[in-house]
Amino acid sequence: MIDRREFNKLAALAAASAAAQARAQQAPSAPKSAPADGITWDKAPCRFCGTGCHVRVGVKNDRVVAIEGDQLADVNKGLLCVKGYHVGLALYGRDRLTQPLLRRNGRLEPISWDEALDVVAQRIHGAPDKFAFYGSGQWTIPEGYAANKFIKGGLSNNHIDPNARLCMASAVTGFLSVYGVDEPAGCYDDLDECDVLITWGNNMAEMHPVLFSRVIDRRTRGEKVTLIDLGTRRTRTSEFADDYLEFRPQSDLAIMNGIAHLLIKNGTYDKRFVERFCSFRKAPADPAASPTAPLFGDEMSFEDFKAALEMYTPEHVEEISGVPAEKIRMLADLFGNKDIRITSTWCMGFNQHTRGTNANRLCHGIHLLSGHFGKPGDAPTSLTGQPSACGTAREVGTLCHLLPGGRVLANPEHRAHAEEIWNLPKDRINPTLGYHTVLMWEKFCTPTDEGGDISTLWVRVTNPGQSLPNLHKLFKAKEGQPDKFLIVSDVYHTATTELADLVLPSALWVEKNGMFGNSERRTQQWFRMVKPPGEARDDCWQTIAVARRLHDLGHPGMKDKNGKFIFTFKNEQGAEVPVWEWERYYDINVDKALFEEYRLFSRYKHKDLAPYDEYVKARGLRWPVVEQPDGTWRETKFRFSEFDDSYVEKGAEIQFYHSVTKDDKALIWFAPYEKAAEEPDADYPFWLCTGRVLEHWHTGSMTRRIPQLHNAMPHAYVEMHPEDARERGIANGESILLKTRRGEMKLPVWFDGRGHPPRGSLFIPFFDERLLCNDLTLGEVDPISKEPDYKKCAAAVMRTVATP
Amino acid sequence: MLTLGLLVSLDPAQSGAVELRLRAHPSMTVGEVADRWLPVAVEAEDDSVCRDFHEWIGALPGVAFVDVVHVNFEEPPADSTSPLSP
Repeated sequence: MIDRREFNKLAALAAASAAAQARAQQAPSAPKSAPADGITWDKAPCRFCGTGCHVRVGVKNDRVVAIEGDQLADVNKGLLCVKGYHVGLALYGRDRLTQPLLRRNGRLEPISWDEALDVVAQRIHGAPDKFAFYGSGQWTIPEGYAANKFIKGGLSNNHIDPNARLCMASAVTGFLSVYGVDEPAGCYDDLDECDVLITWGNNMAEMHPVLFSRVIDRRTRGEKVTLIDLGTRRTRTSEFADDYLEFRPQSDLAIMNGIAHLLIKNGTYDKRFVERFCSFRKAPADPAASPTAPLFGDEMSFEDFKAALEMYTPEHVEEISGVPAEKIRMLADLFGNKDIRITSTWCMGFNQHTRGTNANRLCHGIHLLSGHFGKPGDAPTSLTGQPSACGTAREVGTLCHLLPGGRVLANPEHRAHAEEIWNLPKDRINPTLGYHTVLMWEKFCTPTDEGGDISTLWVRVTNPGQSLPNLHKLFKAKEGQPDKFLIVSDVYHTATTELADLVLPSALWVEKNGMFGNSERRTQQWFRMVKPPGEARDDCWQTIAVARRLHDLGHPGMKDKNGKFIFTFKNEQGAEVPVWEWERYYDINVDKALFEEYRLFSRYKHKDLAPYDEYVKARGLRWPVVEQPDGTWRETKFRFSEFDDSYVEKGAEIQFYHSVTKDDKALIWFAPYEKAAEEPDADYPFWLCTGRVLEHWHTGSMTRRIPQLHNAMPHAYVEMHPEDARERGIANGESILLKTRRGEMKLPVWFDGRGHPPRGSLFIPFFDERLLCNDLTLGEVDPISKEPDYKKCAAAVMRTVATP
Repeated sequence: MLTLGLLVSLDPAQSGAVELRLRAHPSMTVGEVADRWLPVAVEAEDDSVCRDFHEWIGALPGVAFVDVVHVNFEEPPADSTSPLSP
């Protein structure tokens, strides 16, 4: 008889052997690990990034004890990254929040849920128009949907915005202004088909390692895949690249214009594709002409487009960017080659940019101009950082200007349709847009008598006390304002709970039912597998329970037009279930009920979702998911392409059916290179960039609780070029003072480490709550997406000890 | 004790040498190679050792990439649930 240890080893080997066989045969295989010995297995998407890997979760005695990559999952084909295989441990940090805590006399003290719900409801009831939700791309789809309905449909207040504003808002405005509809046309399958992969400021090897592994795996098989990495700092991705092209921060705009210039000059652009499927656009002459003018711009002729690009010669681009002219020509030659397939990926490098919308537009533009679009392997694809930034923020519309399913608050027909689905009286939904993230926090931190008109802010599943830019202004200024009330629902104490007036303990990941939507339009579902600790409870329940308290207090918005509570659910027998009572919450599947209602919103922008039960069976489905004549549901891999997208008319080949110009054409934008909002100068001679590391996920509130990850990367540091350090007499590991115009901090220098910034550049990871790099960052936003630039500001360094 | 299932992607020219190195390691159990992919189970007292093994394998000549496919932490090491100490 084998012992427990031997059993575990054999199970691990069985899983690895099955993955090897699957790779060799290029076919998925059923999970092979033994189901015996008390461990039960179920599927779930990973809790961390936006890749959307599926894992198999092993549970024993109400505890997660094992994790496997799910070999039936298209996304990861059985593989996981270092964070993914620790995802189970994220549940078990010793300091999990297990009871509501109310701040009294400066201390957080335990209170009952009953009291906590009353506190929240009274705050909102007292001033519903001064209440705001700060949500998250980590909210599950039903959680975000319930919050959106509660505030927009119940309180007639649109002050809801997610942390996704900080990471993918520029991708959204890029997609909208080019195709008229959000989210990528392609999918991860492009990585399996491309001849050339271009990573634009995108460290895929560390931030989306499982996707990167798909590409490296093709090379292992002997396929030729050319990898070109463009970045402002050499990373692990650069190590795998055939060409690493280092550019001066902000000059990505010039590089893409340089490529477009050469495509036209050399006659290598795809004339047929452009004439048939594209038209041209530029920034509006009068941005104030209408609210959508900056997003949709003014018409432009091809000749005007060509003339606008005239100055972006390879030599001029080299002057701006530092990338040699011959490399600009090499890139243009690649795009001009119709016999190869090119996939571009990007993430925060383009998005966290004061011209983030334009960076996104230009990347789509060179793909469209060259015809590298619409075939497997030919795609411009943005990657997201959070597991449901797409599903919950973008699709559910938990942004301050959106309604679910791509509808906008500014459109009266869209409001009317939402009121119809939600069974609300006419004009219940307020047409006035809410505050976007930066403005919301500014209004919360500004004293009431100085115009700070947000008085109660409820933070959900995110950590703005660490992740907002310019923290002194946008977060810490809350302190000492007794009329401002901060509510935080989370699983651990964070930099945000330090200023919280009320902390609510939440269930995490497989402690609740959930659904996520990943970077490639894939909607995923999982069931609760273990109970949350102590009195921690589902975020969705928290929203519904507060809504019920407001209903009982007589808030009229908590009733629909028939006088029914807006979160009324029935069981299979037709009886209403009081799910606002925690003991009854799991009497029915609230996720399913909310999703089936939300699904009604999904057809308008052809983001069709299948019934909930289809997602139970699948490892996610990519929308539009279209019902077939035989009653089955078919996902769509390549949107706008006739061969795969059932909404494209026969014979159209490519059809941008949500075109801004209503002619089924996409828009190719001209956008000039413009300087960064703050550039190095004599006083602050360095560029400062911030970002992530492999071991930690975002602000580290989960991964820093996992000792193995914490020990592997225990604290933040500043990467510096060794020559810059040598000139200043700074030794590797020495603690230095780093200053910007907004703040300063001491932290150790690391050179010749994992990342390699060029001379004159610094990099700090943002995971460490003891070294808050956002005390230093700028807070300037893209004027269209309102997304802040975390990648560029000016900084100075100085030694903290005298040179011997 | 932690147990890890790894999938090692091999460079065909050097796959034999890699397999021999791994089979000789006392903490590793090596499965049957399938084309260019070698399954390996690793067990270690704590995860930092597992990670060291992971990185050591990744650095071997002839190894293109190392992916994780399985982890069992049913018997967590003494400090595996230790809290963050801000």
